[in-house]
Parts: sequence; structure tokens; C-alpha cells
Amino acid sequence: MTVLCVEHVTTYRYQGEVNLSQHLLRLAPRAAPGQTVLSHRLVVDPKPDELMPLTDFFGNASTVATLQHPHSELSITARSRVRRTEPPDLILEASAPWERAAASAREPAGLAIAPFAHPGAYTRADAAIEDYARASFPPGTPVLAGARDLSSRIHADFAYAPGTTDASTRPVESFSKRRGVCQDFAHVMLAGLRALGLSARYVSGYLRTHPPEGRPALVGADASHAWVSVWDPGLGWVDFDPTNDLIPGTEHITLCWGRDFADVSPIAGIVIGSGEQGLSVGVTVTEEA
Amino acid sequence: MTAETRTSVAPTPQVLESYLRRLKPGQFDEALAPDGSLRPHWVGLIDWLERLGPQGFGDAVIENERLRTESGLAFDVSAVPERESLSPTDALPVMLDAAEWDLLRRAACQRARLIDAVLRDVHGPCETMLHEVLPSELIYANPEFAPHCARWEQPLERWIHLYEVDIARGADGRWMILADRVNAPLGDGWMIANRLAASQAFAEPFLDLGVRRLNQHYADLQQYIDEMAGPSGRVALLTGGEEDARYFSHAYFARYIGAALVEPRDITVRGGAAYVKTIDGLKTLDVLLRGVRDKHLDALFRPADALPGAPGLSIAARTGELTIANALGTAAMGYRALAPFAHNLCQFLLGEDLLVADGPCLWLGDPAAREQVLDEPEFWRLERITSGPARDLPALPEAVKDRDAFAARLRREGATLAAVATPPLSRVPVWRAGALVPKQWMLRLFGSQTPDGWNAAPGGVASVVEPGRAPPPLGFGKDIWVLPATETAEATPSPQPRRVSVAGEGRDARELLSRIADDIFWVARTAERVETTLRVMRCCVTRLLSGIGIDGQPHVLNAIVEIQATPTAELEGFARLRDGIARLAGGETEPLGMRPLLRALRHTGRNAQPYLSDDGWRCLDRVCTDRRWRLPPDTRQASGLLRLIDDSLIALSAFAGTAHENQTRNDVWRFLELGRRIERGIAITRIAEAMAGRSQAAEETLLRAWHSIGDSRTAYRTRYLTIATLPPTLDLLILDEENPRSLAFQLVQLEAALGALPNPSRYRRKEHRAAMRLLMSLRLAEIDQLAAAGEDGRRDALIGLMEEVRRDLLDIADTLARAFFAHTEQSTAILSMMSRRT
Repeated sequence: MTVLCVEHVTTYRYQGEVNLSQHLLRLAPRAAPGQTVLSHRLVVDPKPDELMPLTDFFGNASTVATLQHPHSELSITARSRVRRTEPPDLILEASAPWERAAASAREPAGLAIAPFAHPGAYTRADAAIEDYARASFPPGTPVLAGARDLSSRIHADFAYAPGTTDASTRPVESFSKRRGVCQDFAHVMLAGLRALGLSARYVSGYLRTHPPEGRPALVGADASHAWVSVWDPGLGWVDFDPTNDLIPGTEHITLCWGRDFADVSPIAGIVIGSGEQGLSVGVTVTEEA
Repeated sequence: MTAETRTSVAPTPQVLESYLRRLKPGQFDEALAPDGSLRPHWVGLIDWLERLGPQGFGDAVIENERLRTESGLAFDVSAVPERESLSPTDALPVMLDAAEWDLLRRAACQRARLIDAVLRDVHGPCETMLHEVLPSELIYANPEFAPHCARWEQPLERWIHLYEVDIARGADGRWMILADRVNAPLGDGWMIANRLAASQAFAEPFLDLGVRRLNQHYADLQQYIDEMAGPSGRVALLTGGEEDARYFSHAYFARYIGAALVEPRDITVRGGAAYVKTIDGLKTLDVLLRGVRDKHLDALFRPADALPGAPGLSIAARTGELTIANALGTAAMGYRALAPFAHNLCQFLLGEDLLVADGPCLWLGDPAAREQVLDEPEFWRLERITSGPARDLPALPEAVKDRDAFAARLRREGATLAAVATPPLSRVPVWRAGALVPKQWMLRLFGSQTPDGWNAAPGGVASVVEPGRAPPPLGFGKDIWVLPATETAEATPSPQPRRVSVAGEGRDARELLSRIADDIFWVARTAERVETTLRVMRCCVTRLLSGIGIDGQPHVLNAIVEIQATPTAELEGFARLRDGIARLAGGETEPLGMRPLLRALRHTGRNAQPYLSDDGWRCLDRVCTDRRWRLPPDTRQASGLLRLIDDSLIALSAFAGTAHENQTRNDVWRFLELGRRIERGIAITRIAEAMAGRSQAAEETLLRAWHSIGDSRTAYRTRYLTIATLPPTLDLLILDEENPRSLAFQLVQLEAALGALPNPSRYRRKEHRAAMRLLMSLRLAEIDQLAAAGEDGRRDALIGLMEEVRRDLLDIADTLARAFFAHTEQSTAILSMMSRRT
């Protein structure tokens, strides 16, 4: 059992004055198997004229922050504490054959997982991605064992290369380049899984990092993270992190889940009245003693 | 019925002779029964046609075209004729008898109720999916499904309020549904304009037959909207703007039902309520008739697809503060999404049998349907099930050549695809080249909620269908004439009193949208720029034609033309002059050249048009659309250019005149006035510097040029009776507060208009104070001091004052923009990226 604290600071500096800004913030961790939320606090500076909480279709808590007075800098700080427990030791080979897992999303009893079974704009596969994914799922393969294999192959085959993709990159592109960041890896894995009809969701969150031996942890050196959760009719949702080739445990913090990045992007918004903008994001994850 | 006996004794009407020859047995014909006799409800129309003869009917058709074009002209000059040529449907109405109409009306209403019920279910309890009446894939694989519109704490009671449907009759005589149009319908404008043209051009049969009118239906719809909006509610119709192919219908319908016409960027959502941005601040919006597609709205939730503006719109609907008709999210059941399941859903949700079944349509999420398409590809065409034909879809049957690859693609994407087929349809008489010919046809019906539930407007727009093609987009078409149930013509209901509380309607300037105020301001500024360019060109060209002595010297003329033209240092003499004039007259990129200015003027003018007087718009449009400005300029044809300049100047003067004589003194007028005064003031400072900034030998001729550009030659001659010298010129063109071409006059008018703008405070507005200060410094200026030149010939005092005035005028324009148009600024979407790895 671990208690993790996360501080996520996003600062926008605008060239001119912004007269109105509206942001949709999905920065609150949600309760999840293995995760208890101890506290969460959101600070927007300058003080917003309005904060409106909304619960979305997937059960995530979000907030719309509106500032309608001129400002040239905006900072959004989310501080959260969560308790994480080790995931149970799963025998992935004991999961259902993937064909049965896929069929379950199309049954009335599978209505809750059905939204995660179909490709969308960010998770559309072409024949190449489908073939790539299929290699991890020979007939009768237990769905979670196949998912673990796919996650490992993406980790092995793809280069982690920030700056080669952006927030709107589609999996067909990052797959053909075999490079990208966690968001792209998650989308490629989702595209592959859904091309086979499997239910899988996009999870946003953070990951605790360890400073090199003998050095102090750097404040703000961390960043938002994303991984994938796969449905098994018996074991339920099980997380896989293709970026790091591991099953998330006590060092991951779950924020939100949805079908893809667009459903859970931590900050999406509109500003009116500015030209260029500078953005700095700092995430610090620490373990509470 | 008497008509039956009439046809049996009457010989075949002449107009039908060639029509009869083209008929194919066994295929339903709207006008003729299988035995070749005229169906009773067509008798009146065909009799009239017979009496009129091809010549007479041809004239009526031309009149109908003219009326259509005219109704188009009132909104959008260029778009309508183009669209006309796209759908060369004739104007001969289609007759429907009362029983037939009643079936179609009930079918449309049933379907609207059904779609509404399906939408309510799939965004809430999902009973249809739990009971396997609707596959969950259809919704969850659906690109139009909007999770941000589902599972609200207060579920929406009504998802659709307006419903359009494409219907056709098969060659076997049975009606079928071709497409549900629920996403952003509002094609009513086309139908009403179409009806107006047809009822006037073919007035005789229209009145004699007692064709059912549309106005009662729309009075009912209006009452329904009023009840939703509440007694002081504000109603707006949301359009994508003039680039939207449906803009004509939006503009027309908004005016017809008295709703403000707004664009997404006119709307802002604060505190869970929606507002329109007006120059007098934000005004609550209660009902929004949505003419913009789902996925282009609400950038908070659809950052990639939304148009700028209206972020958070779905939140205003979620809180219940705003009714959107139709609701966001309806697109999920648009086009053909209902078709494969309509029968079972109708039983399940309404407990009724479907009145009219769908045309052939397979949902390719179903493996059996995919097999069927692979096996018989020649029967089908692929469409996106919620949006119709798409370019990125492979064409059948060619796609099946590589069966395995195609099957894999269908498996991956099938849930979003439909295979559709249009079977042979019934025929209707169409007027082509002076004769009637039978053509396959379909019609669009327009339904809506009313205080008494769903109903449909008795009419519609019919079009000719090319076999094997998707239904054409809506435009003008054949009017649908529904006959009353009995022989006695239905009493024409008197139109209901028009809503008077519609605050959004453009004539109330206190509700002037910020965006529109911005456009109006720029119409005036641009018109003024055009005028200065024209006057400068006229001065030069006149002197080129008749200039003698110093007046025609190239360096003098170059000084004049370069008031507006960018100087070309590498050229000299007349070559430089010709180049300058050519760029002003025909340059695409010359900043103050006619082409870019006229483009800008036309663009802002069209946006501002509903707020200008009709005559004012006509004058403006005449200048903007004068084809001669689009021809390559021929500077050697100086007299032709001069005529063109004169024509444009007269039209612009007429525009300025209508602003004064035909425009109510409201905020629209004030923003026109502000734009004109600021821009003319700036032009005067530039002319003054160019013509009199330094003392020089050619001064007299330059001053006369200034008089003529400032249209003040007569005033100067009669007042001073001398040759042109500087002090009287400054008196007349800078300091005289009575001369509409003087700088002081501009500042006096500017100050007055600024003082009358909406002002929540009891103190004067900032820009008003700046104008007062400026006027004062001009009033305190001394002519002798301004006219004095330094040793180098430079008139520092004059130049200094002109620079000060210009700077302050630009500041005032900026302050105005921030105070009144700030909402219209560009918005930027922010989407952060995830990137993490240990």
C-alpha cells in the first residue's frame, strides 16, 4: 500500500490580454479498483468567475472553469492524494478466450462495456494495425495474455520520441512511423484491440518516477501519462501500460477513463483575444512517508 | 366525383400526348391512372396547362424563375442562381389529394415521434439495446454519438422539434422513406420561398383549386416556439453563415418566423446559460433553432471539429436554460440510422405499426448484411449511415474485386455504414423543352412540433431523382400542392399576429449583434476607402486626358496617385504613373486597390445587409458587382476608366445618401457614421500631408488636386475667388466645421455619434473623451502657424497635427473595437498533450 501525492501545475502565458477563457478540466482522480482518493483540490489563478462541476458519460468528474475578465496569465493547479494497493496477482492465462471477450460486448449484458468496443476517430485501425494486433491473438488466446503480449510488442517495436506526434495524431500515422508518446502507444493498442472487437479503454493519469541514484527528485519533472485497460468477462478491467511494458500498480495514479484521448484530455479549452501563447506544465508525484 | 366523368368524356389533353407515349406500363404514374385517364386531383392543373398552351406556360415558368431569383436576391445574390443550375428541376407543381397527403403527414409525424423516442432512450435508459431491438454498436460505433449529451442528471424531454424527411413512391405505388433529416433541418426557407414563387406565377390554378396554405402550420410552430421561450424569451436561428449552402434557407426562415439570425461566434455560455453578444452587452438566449450540424458545435467537447464560438453550448442545454431545436446529439439517428430498425423500434417504443416503411437499406454492422453486399454488390451503394454519401467510401461493385480486403474493411467499419438501393420510383410530369415528360421523383416534407403535437406543413419540395443516386440536396424545386379534403376550398386562415417581443430581430438596434456592428463599421470604413481611391484615380485620369502644363506633369500626378498607391521607386515619370493607376484599378494585392477593397466591401456588406436599408444595399452591391472592375485594367482606355470611376462614385454617393435619408438613427446608423467619419478623417490627414506637407513650386496645382479630391472646388471658388493657396485651403478643408469634406466636420460628427452610443456608466466613454479632446485641439489650431514652412520647406506644425489626428482616430477605432466588438475576436482552442514515460 502506498500513498501518492501529485501536484499538476499548468501555466499559460498569453502574448496579449485574454478577455475570456473557458476550460474543461479533467484533473480529479477517480475511485478505481486499487485506488482510493484521499483528497483533491483544484486552484485556478486568477480566481475564475465560475467553476461548474460536471460528471461525464464515463463517470469522470470534470470542471468547467470560466474567466471572463482580462488576464495575461492563467495557472491551473490540481493537488491530489490517493492510496494505491498492489494489484492482485492475476493469472492472465486464466482469462477468457478473446473471441468470447469480444462477443460479450455485443450482448445485452455487455452494455456497460459496449461504448469501449468500437473504433473512433482516434482509435481507427487500418489493415496493417489489425494484422499487427492479430499476431498477439491466435485463436483461443486468453484475452489478457494477448493484451499483455500486444503491450510488450508495442513497447519493443516503437520508439518513444516526444515531438514527433501531436495531440491530434491518429494511430495509422504513429503506427506507420513506429514512434510517438504514451498517448500514441495507447491509441495504437486500442485501435488494434478494437479492430478485433475487444473492449478496451483509454486511461489518463500519472506515473511516479524515480530520480537517478543519489540525486534528489526534481519538482515538476513528471508529466501526464496514459495507458490502456482491457476487459475480461471474468476478471473485469485490467490495466496495461504499453509505454513501459508493465501492469500499472502502486506507482500509477488513475485520473479518468474514456474511449480515447479526446474523452479525457486533462485540459481542453478556448481562449478569446490572445495571439501566441506559452505553456508550461509541471507534474510532481511523491510518495508520502 | 365529377372529375371522373369529366376525364372520361374529355379527349386526351394535347399537353399529355407526348407524355402518354413515354409512359411505361406497370410503373406508377402520379398524374395518370393505369388506364391512361387523368387522376382526379390532377385534372384542374392539367386543364389550366391545356388552356395556357406551351407558350403561355413557358411565360409562367419564366415568371416563376424571376420570383425565385428575386427572393434569393434579397439574401444572397450569387448563391441562388448557381444552385438553380445544380438542380434543373422544373417548376410544375405536383398534386397530392387529401387522402394521400393525410397518409404522408401521419407517417412523417409518427416517424418524428419515433426518432424522438429512440434518442431519448439511447441517451438515457437504453431499453432498446437491453431488449436487443437496437444493436448497441449502431450507437456506440456511431461517429455522431455525443457522450457529452448522454446520461444527463435532468434528461431532455424532447430531442427533436423539427423534422424533415425525404419520401418517394416506388414504381409499385407504395411510399417509402429515403432519409430522415434531423441533424440540422431548417430547410423550411426553401419551401416557403418556393411556394411564394409558385403561388404567384401560377396564381390561377393555385387559387381555383384551393391549394392548402402553409401559414397555419407556421403560425402553430411559432406559437410552440413562443411557449418554449416564455413571454420575454429570445429566439435565434443558428446558421453557419454565408459559406453554408443552406444559408439562404436560414436567412429566409429566420425572417419568416421572426428569429434573430446568429452564428456560433455570436453565442457565449456563462454560468450555464447561453447569451448572444450584442453591442449592449450579453443577452440571454432561450430557444436556439439549430441550423449548424452537431459536430461543429461546442468546442469544449469537440475541440477538433467545432466552429469557433459557442463553447459550452451543450452545458446550457444540460442545465435547462436553453432549448436547442433540434438538440445536440440528434445526428446519431440522422439520415439512415433508423431505417434498418424502424419497424421493430416502432413496435417497441410506440406500440404502433410503421405507417410507411423504409427504402432498401442494410446496416453493415450485421455480418449477414455484409455477406449480402459482398454477394450482390451490383444492387447496392455504400453510404455513411448517419450522413450519406462520402468520397472516401469505395464504389460498388468494383470494390468487391478484392473480396477479402474489402470484407475486412467492411468488418472494421461496417457499424458506421449502410448499403442502400433506390428501387424504380413512380413518375411525375416534368416540363422539359416545352413538353411534359415523366420522370422519377421524390419529395421533402417539413414537420414540426406545434402546441397540439407533431404536424407537417401541407406542402413540400419535390425533385427529380437520377436512378441509383442519393437524394439530392435541398434547394428550389417542384412545389407540392395538397388539395383540401372536400370540394369546398378551405377557408384561408388569417395569419396570426406576428410575435412582437422578438428582441433579436435586426431592426431593434439595441440588440445589435457585436459581430454585425463590427461588419457595419467596416462597411462604412471600406466604402470610404473605395471612395478615396476612386477620387484620387479620377483626379489623375482627368488630368492625364486634358492636363496641360504643370497639371499634367508626371511628378505632380505621381504625388497624387501615391496618396493611395504604393510607390514604385524603380519606375519614373509616366511609367510610374501608369503602374500606380493600373495597380489601384486592377491589382489583386494593392492594399488600397479596387479589387481587394471591393472584395472586403462585399463580404462585410453581405453580413450587414439585413441591417442596411434596401436601397442602400442595392447601391453598395452595384459597385461591388460591377464586372468592369474584374476585367484587366486598360489604362490606355482612359475615358472608359473614367466612366467606370464616375459610375462607381455616383453609386457610392447614393449609398452614403441612403444612410442619411433611409436609415433610422439607431446604432446601425451610428456605426456607419463612426466608420465613415474615422476613415474620411484619416484620408484627409494623408491627403493634407501629401499635397501640402512641404512648400514647393508645384504647390498650386497640388492644392487644386486636393480641392478636386475633396469635391470642394466649387466651394473654394465661390468663397475665396482666388487661385489656390494654402491658408484658405486649410480653412476650407481642415478647419471649416460646415464643409462635409473637412477634417473638422468629421470630428464634430464623430463626437456626436460617440456620445450617443450605449453607455452603462454616467461618465463619458473613453473613446468619446478622446474625440472631444481631438476636436478641441483642431479648434485651437491657427491657420498661419499650420501654413508656415521651415527652412527645408517642411510644414512641421501641419504635419504634426495631421499625425496626431491620425493616431488618435486609429486609437478611437481600437477602443471602439475593444468595447463593442471584443466578443468577436478570434478564439484559440487549447488541447494539451500527454507524454510520459519513465
